[in-house]
Amino acid sequence: MSLLEIENVTRRFGGLVAVDGVTTRVEAGELVGLIGPNGAGKTTLFNLISGFTPLSAGAVRFKGEPIQGLKPHRIAARGMSRTFQNLRVFPNMSVFDNVSVGAVGAMGQSAFAAVFGRRARADAISARTWEALERVGLGGVAEDLAANLSYGKRKYLEIARALAMKPELLILDEPAAGLNDSETADLARFIRSLNGEGLSIMLVEHDMNLVMGICSRVVVLASGRKIADAEPAAVRADPAVLEAYLGVDE
Amino acid sequence: MSEFVRGRLVPLLVLLVVFALVPYGLAKFGKGYFFQVAQLVLIYALLAVSLHLVTGAAGLLHLGHAAFYGVGAYVAALLGTEMKLGFLWGLPAAGLAAAALAFVVALPTMRLVSIYFAVATLAIGQMIHTVLLNWVAVTKGPNGVMLFSGITLFGTPVKSPIAIYFLVAGLVALSIWVLHRLSHSYYGNALRSLREDDQCADAMGVDTVRLKIEVFTVSAFFAGIAGALWAYTTGYVSPGDFGFNTSILVLAMIVVGGLGSLPGAIIGAALLILLPEVLRGVGDLRNVMVGIVMFVSILFLPRGLLGEVSALSLVRRGFGLKWGAAPSDREVGWR
Amino acid sequence: MIDPYYLQQLAIGLSQGVIYALMAIGFTLIFGVLNVVNFAHGEVYTVGAFAGLLLITAFAPPFLVVLFAVLAFGAALGFGLERIAFKPFRRFSDEASLKSRAMRESTLMSSLAVSIVVREGLEIGFGSQMQTLPFDYLINKPIELGPVTIVTGDVIIFAVAAVMLGGLQYLLKRTRIGLSIRAVSANPLGAKYVGIDTDRTIITTFALGSMMGAGAGILVGLYYGAIFPAMGFVPGIKAFVAMVMGGLSSIPGAVVCALLLGLSEGLATTFISSNWADMVAYGFLIVTLIFFPQGLFGAGRERV
Repeated sequence: MSLLEIENVTRRFGGLVAVDGVTTRVEAGELVGLIGPNGAGKTTLFNLISGFTPLSAGAVRFKGEPIQGLKPHRIAARGMSRTFQNLRVFPNMSVFDNVSVGAVGAMGQSAFAAVFGRRARADAISARTWEALERVGLGGVAEDLAANLSYGKRKYLEIARALAMKPELLILDEPAAGLNDSETADLARFIRSLNGEGLSIMLVEHDMNLVMGICSRVVVLASGRKIADAEPAAVRADPAVLEAYLGVDE
Repeated sequence: MSEFVRGRLVPLLVLLVVFALVPYGLAKFGKGYFFQVAQLVLIYALLAVSLHLVTGAAGLLHLGHAAFYGVGAYVAALLGTEMKLGFLWGLPAAGLAAAALAFVVALPTMRLVSIYFAVATLAIGQMIHTVLLNWVAVTKGPNGVMLFSGITLFGTPVKSPIAIYFLVAGLVALSIWVLHRLSHSYYGNALRSLREDDQCADAMGVDTVRLKIEVFTVSAFFAGIAGALWAYTTGYVSPGDFGFNTSILVLAMIVVGGLGSLPGAIIGAALLILLPEVLRGVGDLRNVMVGIVMFVSILFLPRGLLGEVSALSLVRRGFGLKWGAAPSDREVGWR
Repeated sequence: MIDPYYLQQLAIGLSQGVIYALMAIGFTLIFGVLNVVNFAHGEVYTVGAFAGLLLITAFAPPFLVVLFAVLAFGAALGFGLERIAFKPFRRFSDEASLKSRAMRESTLMSSLAVSIVVREGLEIGFGSQMQTLPFDYLINKPIELGPVTIVTGDVIIFAVAAVMLGGLQYLLKRTRIGLSIRAVSANPLGAKYVGIDTDRTIITTFALGSMMGAGAGILVGLYYGAIFPAMGFVPGIKAFVAMVMGGLSSIPGAVVCALLLGLSEGLATTFISSNWADMVAYGFLIVTLIFFPQGLFGAGRERV
């Protein structure tokens, strides 16, 4: 049984088929890259997996159980957390509070517990928040307002928030967008080290070098269809992939 | 000074003022009018803090808060006059009735966002107000309801103004403490995440719709409690006190104090109740003052008198919320 | 054959609906360009009526002069309102924040504050009771139309509204300033980049919307013979409801919904007491919001 199984997933917007019968999987501990030219349906596929967009057809199974039709927060609670393509941190909250939302989302704190609860739960949430913050190296700016962070740090903040949920599968939507080469290289090392700790990761990326450099398997989408699903070296040599990329002005 | 006291200096000072200084002053110079103003400040502080939870923390612009305040007031008054049920029954009943009504209206409307939510609460507030005004058989219509029975606690009537003041102050302090725990906790962080980006909060595992319904209901509960306190202390409720203007007054309080700031809500309530009273000599400027203070504060103090960021760090320091495992003694978490 | 009584109520409801429509257009125009709700719109209506009242008591000019003077005054009001309650919050008009959430929220509050100050100021100046108008000016002379009796006001309101609506359509679709209003509504930044003066466009929109609001105010004042500081509140809310029901940005949608609201209120008073008639509008609103979150005529726009 794979960690995430995507089976014939299809999404139609009116007459447009954004994602067309895509089947793939993520094994536990794998680092899978999802690439494709603009408009290939990568982000739509992410939204289908994480429950933000309902499926038109097909099935998504996470840890063997179907998750299609579930609300995003239910899917998140099962151990899948995601980041967004265009940075979506909570700007008017401190860095610490941002990350704590991930921890609260995963661990829960009811209104009653907030008022009368013992401190154990709150302390556990704090501990998990600190752990995630330290993991991405933002412990030093925990009290700063998220809006005041640099662009690069906000990227890590978003990842920390997802990590605070202690997910089994982390899906990253274009984490390197807007970063320069050295920042991208740092990020690549970081993602790889997360994966090295046993976290399964699926990432959508434009930056071919990043994906080819760190992923153990690469899935290629073009016009909503899967055209390749193999190791980086094999994908690089695949004529269908070359055609898809050269056929559009990339 | 012990660590315990130093960590809680600000709240202790506030409690000292509310439970010692003000009652002392009232007892010394007290005319009925001063007692009324003091109680009005307390009741509006509770209203403002309850609205803070929905509008300041969770970011849902609520334009019908006064209606739930009114429901509480009417339930308390009607239970007293029609069913002869006293304070101990009337107070919780008022809160629960307001909360139940809020829950019912929240179920279908909480999926609405931003301006649609604001309009929906405006309409709900107006509908409730229309009912209070026109359901003459029950609410006595525009004439209002007189509640002569006063407050009786365990068979003992609470008659002296100072005792009533202490009772109101105690209940308001307790209610605000609950709202403070909700706002200044990880639960509060989840509420703030709804305000910032509810879709993103959803992806973090936060059940946004449920949280919104919860917070709307809780807020209405405390508005109902405030309404009951108003009914018991003034002995008279009429629909005019629970209209759109009152909703806006409470909104102005939290805006002036600083949206998202609980201490700010209390400051705003005190300011907007006391200022018009102080200026009473100038003429009937009360409502105009509300508008002017609100406008000036939006223009020149967009974060309010005590903005959210400073308020949160004040509360963190004020309640000694050091979190043990944090490197050094950084005060960033909640307990 | 329908009972003439119902026709009578329909006529009353229709003129009420036309008034709502005139106000709803102002709301919709302003919402279109700035994505903000102008809570002071009801007060524009009130101030328009008071301006007419003062003019009549001071100079007793003919009806048309009153109407045009009030319309001009309304435009000036819109200008002032934009400068006081909206412009100060558009500090960064060159950024994407032109329709930002912060701007939306602070202008909502500021227009609310201005509306409080205006309403309460009028109460201090004139008292909260109704002001009486000279009888000659009232537009409630009966006109017999078969079994139905309408009054001159119904005809006048309808005619004025038709002219204003027609004029607005012409302005929006055929003139340069109309084009820029539509451009700013569709995409403020894009409009700016192609050289449209967004500031001027926004002011013009406020002037236009407020003109119609003030016009509606004086017409209603003359129709019912009652002018008082809080008169703008209820029609303001109804117009707001019509805008939301119409889908926030659709002028035809808002007009249709405003007429629908007026008609259903007119009919509702035959079944329930007029005190409860307000419930109809609010009920409509809630049902619309729940079942048609984009409004009845909304075009799938982003939910703001």
